Amino acid sequence: MTIVRIGLAAVGALAVGGAVAALVGSGTVLSLLTQAVIYAVFASGVGLLLRQNGMVSFGHALYFGLSGYALGIVLQLGWMPAELALVAVLAAIGAVAFVVGLVIVRVPGVAFSMMTLAIGQMLFLTASRSRGLTGGADGMNINWPSTLFGVPQSLLLKPAVLFLVCWCVMVLVVAGLALLLRGRFGAVTEAVRDNEERARFIGLRTLAPRAAIYALSAVIAALGGSLSALNTGFVSPEALHWSVSGVALMMVVVGGYRALWGPPLGAIVYFLFKDVLGDWASHWMAIFGIALITVIVFSPTGLAGALERLLPSRRKRAAAAGRPASAH
Amino acid sequence: MLTINLFNGLVYGALLIVMCSGLALIYGLRRVVNFAHGSLYMLGAYLGYTIALKTNFWVALVGAPAVMALFGVLLDRYGFRLLQDRDPLTVVLVTFGLLLVIEDFVQTVWGKSNLTVDAPAALSRSVDFFGTPLPAYRLAVVVIGALVALGLTAWLRWSKAGLFVRAASTDPVTTAMQGVNTDALSAGVVGLGTALAGLAGVVAAPFLSLSPSMSSDVIIDSFVVVVIGGLGSLGGAFVAAMVLGMVQALGAVYLPDLSAVLPFVIMVAVLIWKPAGFAGSRT
Repeated sequence: MTIVRIGLAAVGALAVGGAVAALVGSGTVLSLLTQAVIYAVFASGVGLLLRQNGMVSFGHALYFGLSGYALGIVLQLGWMPAELALVAVLAAIGAVAFVVGLVIVRVPGVAFSMMTLAIGQMLFLTASRSRGLTGGADGMNINWPSTLFGVPQSLLLKPAVLFLVCWCVMVLVVAGLALLLRGRFGAVTEAVRDNEERARFIGLRTLAPRAAIYALSAVIAALGGSLSALNTGFVSPEALHWSVSGVALMMVVVGGYRALWGPPLGAIVYFLFKDVLGDWASHWMAIFGIALITVIVFSPTGLAGALERLLPSRRKRAAAAGRPASAH
Repeated sequence: MLTINLFNGLVYGALLIVMCSGLALIYGLRRVVNFAHGSLYMLGAYLGYTIALKTNFWVALVGAPAVMALFGVLLDRYGFRLLQDRDPLTVVLVTFGLLLVIEDFVQTVWGKSNLTVDAPAALSRSVDFFGTPLPAYRLAVVVIGALVALGLTAWLRWSKAGLFVRAASTDPVTTAMQGVNTDALSAGVVGLGTALAGLAGVVAAPFLSLSPSMSSDVIIDSFVVVVIGGLGSLGGAFVAAMVLGMVQALGAVYLPDLSAVLPFVIMVAVLIWKPAGFAGSRT
């Protein structure tokens, strides 16, 4: 997609978000949508790793929860203003994730997935036990200051405003990724994903790009975690559990990881399932499990892939014509 | 005191042996890391509970694994076989979906509260072991673990089916070319693997109570064992299961904070140093 198209799509998406925020009156519905959008950001991170590196991570909840905990601790100790803390936490997580990535992306296939599971669980257990630092299994409150980026808390925490903020972040993340990945970096990482040995033969460095994608996916997951911390003002070890990573992975698979907007779609579908399946609410997990299996078996590219196949052929031809040109 | 802790380590290690041999077998034949294995263990335990309620524990000990074996055969025939040409991570995600379905099924049928199963009357006493009284039931668990380990090793080493299984684990295509019906073999082995998970569940029920969270409690430990021992290697799984059982039991008493994290540290270290695990993929 060209830059113009990405820009137009982003503006369109922002407008949709604005319309939803203005027109939906019910606070509970907006609250649900906000949660969905926060998970959409988280799922985008997980989906990025799967899309560009071909790696499945069962441990990204680590970064989701870690950003909440880091923010909580930094704000509690009062080291820096909240705005700076947000940026610093994300930067720190990115750096740590890059170093971790350099070590663990070398591990192939399923072993990588199991390793991410192990690392995530390690942090979960550590956080559950450190009563002094993190409040242990009870979780910790996050002391947000009274104004954030000049906006007072009372205004920021209104359902419509919070939804709009989270929606804008999500649109910017997806648009940003689309811009980043259409260039050389995207092509390099895709080459390494498809055949690492051959990429090395043609002279590409294969370790740093993969670690960079891992770090980027971690930062995006952490961004989701920061939004969640803003939404609830609270973080607990449950946010680090591997089942949270599993849920994000489900969203990615059901939504489809080929398209960058697939994981957010999956997140919204997941939350709709959860809410709309009224009487069947106690069984929605099983139904989602069945939906997951069905999607994997019949449409490996997920809902986004299925939707793209239904789009008019003119767009598909344009996309196909554009791809060879951007392969340089 | 130390004897009791070592013994508890032995008991948990024996349970893990039964669990993880199933996991290792399924991986060896189908190259699938069965994320649903913990929920199969849980299903076996709950089935055992119901069967024991109607008849007695001994019937459940045979009946629940039999039902689970049937389930395993169906799972292989209609799940793993149809997906065998797909990306391995696809199948892993399918087993994850299966885990959700089974967990929900168990909660629906048996409810969310903890259930207890009584050990059979014949084993509800203590045996004196060099001055320390040990519960007879737990001793029986150790014996079962040892029997499973020896039985599987003997079967793989000396029987024809075992030979086919070892061959198919190494190279399924060539084995099929030699005339072995790998599909039937895989169905049988997956059935055996799920039966072992069910057996572990029934055996564990009297001394670990039945709860909806039992599948997640055990699956992580099982993965640690299988990874450290080497995916697909039974011998490695046996050794790693014993080591992990000891670490958990001794660590819980002497080094509580560290012991929870230690298995994962070992697992990460093994994966970085030798992604194929200690024993590699040799059965």
